[in-house]
Amino acid sequence: MSWSSPPVAAVSIGVVLAVGAYIVAVTDRALGALVSKQPLRLGHVFAGPVRDGALLLVTRRSMTERPDTEAWALAPALVTAMAAAAVTTVPFAPGVVVADVADGIVLIGAAFAVVMVGVYLHGWSANSPMPLLGGYRFIALALSYEMPLALVLIAAALPAESLSVVAIVASQDDLWNVVRQPLGLPIYLVAGLGLATWGPLNMADGADLAGGTALETSGPARLAWEVARRSVVAAVAIVGAAVFLGGWQGPLLPGAIWMVLKALALVVVMSALGHRVARVRLERFVVVAWALLIPLALVDVFVSGALAL
Amino acid sequence: MAGAGARVGLITALASRADIPIFPVLGVGGRRAAFALAALPGVRVVDHPRAAALLLVVGRPTRALLRPLLVVHDLLPPPRATVWWQVGAGGEDLVAALPSTVIATTGEVAGLRTVFGDLVSGRRPSDRPALPDIEPAPWRGIGPYGQGGSGMTGGVPFGRPLPSRSADPDGLELDELPLHVGPLFPPLPPGLELHLEVQGDVLRRASVGENPFTRWPGDPALGPLDTSDFLGALDAPVMVAHLELARARHHLRWAASAVALHGLRAEAHRLRHLAERVCVGDHPSVVALARRLGRCRSLASTMAGIGVLDGGDAPPGPVARAGGRGHDARLDDPAYEGLGFEPVVHEAGDAWDRFLQRLGEAAQALELAGRAGDRVRSPGPPVEGPRGLLDASEVPPSQKLLSLLPDLLEGQEWGDAMTTIISLDIDVEEAAAGAEVQALVEP
Repeated sequence: MSWSSPPVAAVSIGVVLAVGAYIVAVTDRALGALVSKQPLRLGHVFAGPVRDGALLLVTRRSMTERPDTEAWALAPALVTAMAAAAVTTVPFAPGVVVADVADGIVLIGAAFAVVMVGVYLHGWSANSPMPLLGGYRFIALALSYEMPLALVLIAAALPAESLSVVAIVASQDDLWNVVRQPLGLPIYLVAGLGLATWGPLNMADGADLAGGTALETSGPARLAWEVARRSVVAAVAIVGAAVFLGGWQGPLLPGAIWMVLKALALVVVMSALGHRVARVRLERFVVVAWALLIPLALVDVFVSGALAL
Repeated sequence: MAGAGARVGLITALASRADIPIFPVLGVGGRRAAFALAALPGVRVVDHPRAAALLLVVGRPTRALLRPLLVVHDLLPPPRATVWWQVGAGGEDLVAALPSTVIATTGEVAGLRTVFGDLVSGRRPSDRPALPDIEPAPWRGIGPYGQGGSGMTGGVPFGRPLPSRSADPDGLELDELPLHVGPLFPPLPPGLELHLEVQGDVLRRASVGENPFTRWPGDPALGPLDTSDFLGALDAPVMVAHLELARARHHLRWAASAVALHGLRAEAHRLRHLAERVCVGDHPSVVALARRLGRCRSLASTMAGIGVLDGGDAPPGPVARAGGRGHDARLDDPAYEGLGFEPVVHEAGDAWDRFLQRLGEAAQALELAGRAGDRVRSPGPPVEGPRGLLDASEVPPSQKLLSLLPDLLEGQEWGDAMTTIISLDIDVEEAAAGAEVQALVEP
């Protein structure tokens, strides 16, 4: 089967993202129950996201006065599409990749950058003050996420001497990048949380803005937005598993199983951070990003480059 | 066709088993009655009406709350329904302004589940809008640009004032947007209305709006307040252990709202449940909880240095003690003699110290409740309530804290402003009730 044929690619990436978004929702509920010391009700954890999704499907979409209707509808689609674009370059098993493009890591960086446009668009298009504030916040932080994210992805490509994600996975057959470049994965995950507006870096949709960019959204549009956010979390985890945790490589189990387990581990880490770390202050995060994360990411690039020579 | 019908049936069946998304609106006596929401299984309190299916009116709405209540009602997307948890007498005439309201037993989930199930399955029609879909004020074609007013930025097209220009602290001329939030804006305490001028997400100016709980002639009395256990102690004998348990519960509920504001929803859930079932024997676990949250560096970095209030400027109570002023009415209360009571005091007077202060006082309250045994407090001396000193002749803490808000909020970023407001633990209904008492004392 050719994974790159358009119908197969569309279906397979759609399934990966849908299952990924569902797993993110289930993991988040399970960890939430653990943190809140409530009994772990399996029906609540596994069926809850489906039931909530069904309720949103039967709920009517809200309208505001003079929204940018097209942009409002486009925003979740854009975010989901960019998450999908990033995942297309990732091999799930030997030979199982939708698009083995030579510049895969650049494509991932570009797709993640466009996610930021989608989040801002979601806040701006509702024509309402709180969503707009959420969108402004996200844009104010965009470079603070994007710079370290791009730098650690570039650093991960250096040992492979290639920008292809397939080659980056192959270059980790003896040593995973998480060991070779210990700064990379933590910085990547922090930036990923910001990109997905998740946990401590969920400033665009924060509780202090009563929901921020999602405040005016209801019904199927709300479902699309929640799926989009969780798709980005899933995409960040899948890319992170490939770039830093050796992708499909591992003993005994089939490659695809290793890939799923590694991505799941990153989803658990991101979800746990969401339940354990409070929302950071915007100004403080900008300082941390520019004074710490970006310099550390540059060190990561320089050291990785020196070792690769 | 049969297949499509089956799919719709499946989606409806799944939807009716979802957690009930509820947006509560708290009227008179609502804060106390809403405690029950934390313990209800299968209920999800949401951030905003757009995310809700049920509008839950808890307590008696006031005349000033009616219009905001109707606006909130219409923000709920169909299918929607309204349920009223009635507290005390009155309010029927105001609730009747909503298209159709189900009166359910306060604190019970069965009534909510029935309404929700009927609504989703189509057995109950969705509420129609309560307000006509018309412009808030005429503006089309008025003014030089048809924006509804004079000059460049006069008028309120679509009911929204246009921004003006003013200098920011660096001297840059930036847009300044008038923004009115409340009295039912979720991050704010119920009833609090703020008139703001914002540049980006920086509050340039703030003022507090009218108190919607202020009684009109002929209205029933306010309350019961969430501090009614303490107010009752002014006039009647009360067990010290009872008061201290109520104090611990109050502070734990407040801590839940504080951590929820900062995104820690699961932690907030845990705190709410703990608050509803906490007993004297839970002292060690509350101490451990306070220690764990006190070590949470992310919470500290979010609250430290925010909303600094000197103890001397704050009304006597936990806010003042968090700012270094150690007075506590329990020091002079004979009922506390011999219990080894020493006030918990912090120094910085910021939102973080107020958080630590209340967690510390919650743990201390359980310890005192254990030591007090069946000791009874006699009426007479002022009572130390969970928000501060309660005395018939004193302005209640919430009223004083409300008056401090404008100066505290000026120049803060939005998130910091919300942190500051929550950290003060203001009850707008308490402020209104206190104003009534003051009016009687000082005619």
